[in-house]
Amino acid sequence: MLARRMARLSLQLIPCSLILAVTLGTGAAVSWAGEMTPEQRTFFENKIRPALVEHCYECHSVGAKKIGGKLLLDSPAEMLGGGESGPALVPGVPDESLIIQALRYDGVEMPPDQPLPEPVVRDFETWVKLGAPDPRENSPATAAAPSAIDPAALWAWQPVENPRPPAVREEAWPRGEIDSWILARLEAEQLTPAPDADARTLVRRLSFDLTGLPPAPEQVKAVAEGQLSIPDLVDALLASPHYGERWGRHWLDVARYAESNGNDGLSRNPSFPHAWRYRDYVIASFNDDVPFDRFIREQLAGDLLPASSPSQRDRQLIATGFLAVGAKPAKAMNDNFDLDVVADQIHVVGQGLLGMTVGCARCHDHKTDPISTREYYGLAGIFKSTETLWGAAAQQKLSAPQTDLHQLKAAPPSPPRPELSTVFASYTPRRAQEKAAFPHAPDAALAMGVREAKKIADSVIHVGGETKRTGPVAPRSVLEACAVPDLTPPVFSPENSGRLELARWISDPRNPLTARVMVNRIWLHLLGRGLVPTPDDFGATGERPSHPELLDHLATRFVTEGWSVKRLIRAIVLSRTYQLASTDRMEKDEARADRLRTLFGQHLRRRLDAEALRDAVLATTGALDPQPERGSLIQQRDFLVNELPPLHQPSRHRSVYLLMLRNSMPPELTPFNLPDGTAVTGQRDESTLATQALFLLNNAFMREQAAQLASDLPGRPEVTDLTAVKARLAQAYARAFQRSPLEDEVERDVGFLKEIDLTLVSSIPSASARHARAWEIYGQALLSSNEFRYVD
Amino acid sequence: MGRILASQPSCKMPLSRRQLLRTASCGAGYVALAGLASAAPDLTPKLTRVRPRARRVIFLNMSGGPAQLDLLDYKPQVGKKPHLGSVFPFQKRGQSGLWMSDLLPNLARHADKLCVLNGMTADTSIHAQSMLQLHTGDRLRPAPSMGSWVAYGLGTENQNLPGFISFNTAKPAEYSSAHLPPVYGGTPIGVNGEDMSRATISDIESAHLDASLKRRQLDLIQRMNHSHLATRADDAQLEGVIETLELGFRMQIAAPGLLDLSSESAATQARYQVGRNFAEGTCRPSDFGRQCLLARRFCEAGVRFIELSHGSWDQHNDHRRDLSANCASTDGPIAALLDDLDERGLLEDTLVVWGGEFGRPGLSPDKDNDKTGHQHRAFTFWMAGGGVKAGHVHGATDETGSNVVEGAVHFRDLHATILHLLGLDHENLAIVSGGRRIRLTGLQGGKVVREILA
Repeated sequence: MLARRMARLSLQLIPCSLILAVTLGTGAAVSWAGEMTPEQRTFFENKIRPALVEHCYECHSVGAKKIGGKLLLDSPAEMLGGGESGPALVPGVPDESLIIQALRYDGVEMPPDQPLPEPVVRDFETWVKLGAPDPRENSPATAAAPSAIDPAALWAWQPVENPRPPAVREEAWPRGEIDSWILARLEAEQLTPAPDADARTLVRRLSFDLTGLPPAPEQVKAVAEGQLSIPDLVDALLASPHYGERWGRHWLDVARYAESNGNDGLSRNPSFPHAWRYRDYVIASFNDDVPFDRFIREQLAGDLLPASSPSQRDRQLIATGFLAVGAKPAKAMNDNFDLDVVADQIHVVGQGLLGMTVGCARCHDHKTDPISTREYYGLAGIFKSTETLWGAAAQQKLSAPQTDLHQLKAAPPSPPRPELSTVFASYTPRRAQEKAAFPHAPDAALAMGVREAKKIADSVIHVGGETKRTGPVAPRSVLEACAVPDLTPPVFSPENSGRLELARWISDPRNPLTARVMVNRIWLHLLGRGLVPTPDDFGATGERPSHPELLDHLATRFVTEGWSVKRLIRAIVLSRTYQLASTDRMEKDEARADRLRTLFGQHLRRRLDAEALRDAVLATTGALDPQPERGSLIQQRDFLVNELPPLHQPSRHRSVYLLMLRNSMPPELTPFNLPDGTAVTGQRDESTLATQALFLLNNAFMREQAAQLASDLPGRPEVTDLTAVKARLAQAYARAFQRSPLEDEVERDVGFLKEIDLTLVSSIPSASARHARAWEIYGQALLSSNEFRYVD
Repeated sequence: MGRILASQPSCKMPLSRRQLLRTASCGAGYVALAGLASAAPDLTPKLTRVRPRARRVIFLNMSGGPAQLDLLDYKPQVGKKPHLGSVFPFQKRGQSGLWMSDLLPNLARHADKLCVLNGMTADTSIHAQSMLQLHTGDRLRPAPSMGSWVAYGLGTENQNLPGFISFNTAKPAEYSSAHLPPVYGGTPIGVNGEDMSRATISDIESAHLDASLKRRQLDLIQRMNHSHLATRADDAQLEGVIETLELGFRMQIAAPGLLDLSSESAATQARYQVGRNFAEGTCRPSDFGRQCLLARRFCEAGVRFIELSHGSWDQHNDHRRDLSANCASTDGPIAALLDDLDERGLLEDTLVVWGGEFGRPGLSPDKDNDKTGHQHRAFTFWMAGGGVKAGHVHGATDETGSNVVEGAVHFRDLHATILHLLGLDHENLAIVSGGRRIRLTGLQGGKVVREILA
């Protein structure tokens, strides 16, 4: 590159000292050595210097507050030496000169707010064509680029410590180290923790937190009466297959999981008919408590790990779906398609596993974290040397080129599901499908994922993230700021992509980010707020940990206990901290009450999330089918989601198994902040909206379930026989709230049933039908109430 | 200057009722309420510091990149050598003599109401990114949509309706409140690809109970919620639920009537071309007539920001056929909307904005060429109503319409101008999130296009 450029320079008979300046790069103290005519000097002084001063120096001079792109324009040597994107100009060749391209707004756009007037741009072109005669002196020293990184922001890059637990005054309070850290902090701020939660509250909390389902009334009773200990209950919940359905879904949020690509920008939304295998893999991995370090290696490089059986091999291939289920922009008219795929992978690895917004460095060095564009492309080289298998993309090449899929060996065939047969029988694609490039049997067991690319190579730096604008090669690498002693960066070979090396580096016990990020995710799902409140950003723009030592204690414990998620969950939920009440009646000062909650001195009350609400409704009404749903409604169906009416079908299975199509998520879940599958979502929003009210009051699912509850409660729906009504109310309360109704509640609810029954007399003559109707209306109220939808 | 409060969407600490009130009272106007509405939505109308020229916005989002050189930026052939330019005939229209393409016969009646911006310029010719930037100011990361900023800044004049409604949008990111509290997010009516002739607000209507029974059922829920709240003092989230249940209840009374067009005469429906679901080539059925008529009705009902959408104007191959189809689908409905707004005195304080994510290069008349591409450096928007000059052209492009030579307006400037017209200061309508100060006009900021202010 340089040689080519120099050759051209020589041809243009540019003075050789200039070539020297180019060769030496930044810092070479030379000045323009050509013969400068007075006209050239006047031209520079009248046309060029004023424009530089007025429009460029603000960001590109020694005096600038922050130097843009590490490029200085205040001396000839700096201009030739260039910044991040290379030399600012090539004397004599305007079309090759970055500064001219930028002024023309061609790829790079400078000045950023608006282009300079045409005549000024032409002056610059003329000037470069003349060889860029520049009378300015070179400053002897190059200004050091000011460091934009706040040292405090680097906390997460430091090695994980194993701090000794602090001393506390109330020595009897802590049950273990977790509690010591929490209490020490509260004591330091003269705050008193809330009282312990009562048994009913605790059982309800544990059941929802660990399985996403309400407890059976019998469990509450057994704990309250001392027949079942909390540790035994916890073990039972962790052993339940519903545990994996709950915690697997948390991971699917991180993995931006979905069963279709989502709108590619051209309104095409190709299905992912095999993505559900990754969902099942995740659920099974949590249920089996696969060590988290292994879980990472399987997802990044399962295809490269040894397998002792065909089913293990299948499982590991499916795991790599982690890198393939992302949303892609359309291929049509998009030169950056391949880079966009890689960007999604770097994004999910960066934020999902490392808690770092590495993706920001695609176009520029990270503004606040120590991640350079070179490191980004160092990672990109790994993924560019990887082939991503997303499948047929609905056989729409404008959306994405077709790819092969992993062929599974041990998995049974999975024919298309019958439920949607009629829909698909009458489906004629509006956009003609191409021929299948990779034919498979119609019931072949296939999986999305990745494998090694045919060509293994380092990536060049793509200036501004654009394919066509290439810079120097960035050798494959990992994040250098992880300069932890003994954590040696992997050596990348020309033989393989380096995914396995990357996976090993990320899952290395010494990696300071990985364990911290995961224990924080676990903590936040149990306590409602992360020790680092920004679970996907441990960098400078993220928040600092409220309890850094506790975070490190948990990370250390996690790793030493074999990266077992279940063991860590068990330790946390058995702490006193987890078991505190969410209602504090002692702290009256608002600011202090807020502080108490922030520091985990009081449990955070939380709303049931989208899946937990639907599942709790089904469980309460007796409609839940606790068996896992097999496969997916759209398995084996390659189509554009946008060309068909909504495909969701009524289901009694748990919500995690519903059809998760991007841009067409299950209508029973969407009102309650279900993630859209486009970004790593460590913590869901918990918004309160009028459309949620409309769902509760009007949605067919809620109405049907209310009717189901009315008929499922024991005995006939009755409003006149007070004893029978009371018995039913007691059952309803036990199922919905895991408690008995208070007397005034009984009075209120009996009154309501009677009143509604009376109102309905004229419209529903049959007493039994009328009573049933009254119970339906009542049941829907119960299922819509805050007590049902919130967990203390 | 009001305090800018941090909003941490990922972390919702319950705020007490009293805290809410206290914070709201110490902040000035619109900047004070960030981060709170997730707990208790505040959509009450707010005062602005700048005198507003418009009270609401109807944004006609023309997705795909309309071919401005065959619509409003007239580029006849000049000189001897054929060059890129307009291929459809143009005529001067109205008193102002605005050049308009023959493809817009109905809009031509309103020539003297239009303020045409021929110097629009964008950063990229990638659809999705430019579309996002048009909506949110940011082309890469999620950011609050224009409509969310407006609802956030101004509240809504009708407490029974959301402040921002978005018809036929392609993706949630375009109407997302992002860093702003979710209550300011757009309420979607029909997503792209859905049959717009039936699109509605989810669950807005249900005949399963009559109104009085629904009310009694809600009363029971609220009694349960109040008893529940009694032992959970000061939990603003629980209070927020109680309030949104009431708003939802009111919406189901107000919105279905607005969505039901049967009260509109057959003549009116014909004028708007309601139900004319025209499709040809890239032109997708969007029932734009229904969208426009609904826009008028929501506008009358006090919704702040209404976005309509039609596409796709992305006619790469059959330029003449598809452009004609897109115009035929939208020209009549838009003209009818302007007629009604004008007649009902609404145009005075309603800002109508028309445009897409970028434009297209012209065609050369000497070739039998019907293919165009994307052009982001120079394209056209128009506005009408609330506080902009009428029968006015701002900005100009070179002879081929490829580059802006005068009056360049970036999306940032467009955003600054729209906010300004609404009485909002684009510099200060901001929140802090994740350590970043977020505003519609981004880091670089925009400039109010003062030349077009009436």
